[in-house]
Amino acid sequence: MLRSSVAVTIMVSLLPLTALVFLAIESMGMDWGSLLTNETWRDSFVTTIYVVSVSTGLSLVIGTWLARTVVQKGWRFLSSVLRLPMFVPHIAAAYLFWLLFTGMNGIGWIEANERNYVTVILTYIWKETPFVFLMMLGTYEQLNRGYVEMAKTLQLSPFDQFKHGELPFLMKPLLDSAWILIAFISFAYEIPALLGVTYPKLIGVLAYERLSTGLYLEATEPYAVALVWTCLVGIGVFLSYVLTASIRRRIERGVRR
Amino acid sequence: MSLNVQNLYKQFGTKQILNGVDFEVKPHDIHAIVGVSGSGKSTILRIIAGLESTDSGDVKWNHRSLIPIPAHKRRVTMLSQTALLFPHLTVGENVTLVTRERSRKQAEHWLRVVQLGDRYDAEIHELSGGEQQRVSLARALAAEPELLLLDEPFTNLDPKLKLDLQRFIRDLVKELNLTAVLVTHDREEAMLMADQVTLIDEGKVTRTGTVAELYDTAPGFGDFVMLDGELRPLSEVEVSEATGVSVQLMKKIYRFGQCFGEYQFKDGRSVMLPTCETYQTGMIYRIKRKEE
Amino acid sequence: MIRQGLLICLTFIPFISLFFVVPSFEIENNMAIVHTIGLIVILSGINVWLSMMCAWWLLWTDSRWKHVIEWLVFLPLFIPMLATLFGLYLILAEAGLIGTYVGVTLALLVVTIPYSIRLAYNGMAVIGRPLLEQARILPSRRRVMYVLYPLFSRLMRTIALFTTVILLSQFALIQLIGAGLIPTVTTELYQSYAGNNRGLALSNTWMLILFPVLLYFLLSGWDRYMVRMLKGRLQ
Repeated sequence: MLRSSVAVTIMVSLLPLTALVFLAIESMGMDWGSLLTNETWRDSFVTTIYVVSVSTGLSLVIGTWLARTVVQKGWRFLSSVLRLPMFVPHIAAAYLFWLLFTGMNGIGWIEANERNYVTVILTYIWKETPFVFLMMLGTYEQLNRGYVEMAKTLQLSPFDQFKHGELPFLMKPLLDSAWILIAFISFAYEIPALLGVTYPKLIGVLAYERLSTGLYLEATEPYAVALVWTCLVGIGVFLSYVLTASIRRRIERGVRR
Repeated sequence: MSLNVQNLYKQFGTKQILNGVDFEVKPHDIHAIVGVSGSGKSTILRIIAGLESTDSGDVKWNHRSLIPIPAHKRRVTMLSQTALLFPHLTVGENVTLVTRERSRKQAEHWLRVVQLGDRYDAEIHELSGGEQQRVSLARALAAEPELLLLDEPFTNLDPKLKLDLQRFIRDLVKELNLTAVLVTHDREEAMLMADQVTLIDEGKVTRTGTVAELYDTAPGFGDFVMLDGELRPLSEVEVSEATGVSVQLMKKIYRFGQCFGEYQFKDGRSVMLPTCETYQTGMIYRIKRKEE
Repeated sequence: MIRQGLLICLTFIPFISLFFVVPSFEIENNMAIVHTIGLIVILSGINVWLSMMCAWWLLWTDSRWKHVIEWLVFLPLFIPMLATLFGLYLILAEAGLIGTYVGVTLALLVVTIPYSIRLAYNGMAVIGRPLLEQARILPSRRRVMYVLYPLFSRLMRTIALFTTVILLSQFALIQLIGAGLIPTVTTELYQSYAGNNRGLALSNTWMLILFPVLLYFLLSGWDRYMVRMLKGRLQ
């Protein structure tokens, strides 16, 4: 039973890779030159990079800071409250933010749908910070505080205390969280579709709409974009893990729990 | 420069850990704080280092209070039970990081001092436990401390390595003219390393004195012999009969229902033996270090 | 205290929106609720089963394929969900599963399973091999009932909750693979939003938030009942 369940899991896990093969086959007839020069895609690409960097960066910083503070101060109640947004589905979160910023009921200082994607970024931060918080909470709970204390007594500045006493041990969970968030936010539909603007659309929204509305007879384009985007994320994942492999191995071997 | 610990009180939750601790560490002394687990000895050290706050009381270094100064500005470094070398850095980088000018040259100097001059580029996991503690010592010294704190730094080492490192650190501290506070539960370690000893129990100081004073009167401090002016644990010496030496019984000490005698050789050297018999001329126990 | 209060307020602010508009309380499409509950039950069950089995196997196996399989089951986490969806659309179209309940379930399983395995694997690692090793000396039925179930019940609850939240978040997937034929509360919310029916959109939002909450309480109650019953048997 165990082996057959594992076999089923492996088969299910192989489907996303198979999906990529199908995307590649479907993208074969693509005129890549026209894709690169297409202004709509290019603008979407730039906007997506901006939204992804800001949302991921801020979620990582805030989530890590919260985990650090909660562990240091022993704030148990806050720790449970901070998990709540994780249990709100993305589309519901997007609608809550839309209501919060829109029309007469809303806060009013920003439009719910505006070109700078502030509401999209805020929704992602609200939704993804708890995820980072949980990933980092486990790390901080297991972190040997002796390293930071040692750094203090070695007369290192507060920045160096963090850099040498904490950051090296956060590297692996931060990398994992960062790429999971990038993969998730960069090519998604629900939140930017609800809170975005007509132009420029985020790349996921544009691709999905071109695939599903039937207005565009040439479906190759969204498949090609999905493939290119996955490859870019894949290269990023591969490079970041390969480049940090030796230092991560060194830390793993030398750390005292 | 002396360290004055004055009337320290500390409570964790409902448990009173320190109950008005007072003692003084004289300049250039190694001062041991000896107590069982939970007696509050490590808390004292953490307060001196600035890693723990105090409920009341003061810690003065050279007549200036350390309490308002943050840990990283106190010029007090610490050696703990585990070496805690930063694993993402090499051995040398660990030391370079804390030197004032981040200088490799200075780091190499300190590594040579701890006899690891050739391990600058080694990775942490390549070192043995004893070597890691030496690097940790080099790193603590490279920060140019005024006061060195030793928080049971020999606990995780095997007995042979432990004794070697205890002597090495004691000699180095003396050579560099540093003041050091050692926290330990091990009386033998205190006898071997310290000039002064403070005994602590349930957050209170029960005795303070020189090693010699405590040797006479404090329980558990008699399990040593004095050999050529140096304390050796009984486990480390061999006592055998020999001829040709005459000694005189100078002093009798009673501990644990047994009499210990301090004998003096003709040349003035003294020895303490777990016996009080008056020996005939020509018959004396010869005490020597056990063969390796 | 002030900082804690501020952080709690910031976390709760978006929930204020739930009270801006009166929800319509009208249920426009019963099938949407039935489908949603059905998908929650089926997918939570499959996810808990497969992920726990896979994580358990990964924890104990000496197979030389361990690292490859580990890599394989975690890799989908780094593939953008919509890209997986586009590819799955092509695969399921070949298999004739577009617009079917089976197709939607399979696609949702593909996107939820990597997260579930990750949770199960981390959870078991936290409990640790030494403790689980002790349990291995018991006969399998007793081991599962008296040791593994109580140890893993919280973990299984978390996996079920995460699966539910992820599946409730999916509009594009259900719309594309279901070809608009499998309505769920999520697709209803999007359509009521697009049709500018705020009351209906809000009642759908309420439902999307309450489903995980209800599931949490249901599973917690079940856990408590089970653990008490098992303890009673040991008296």
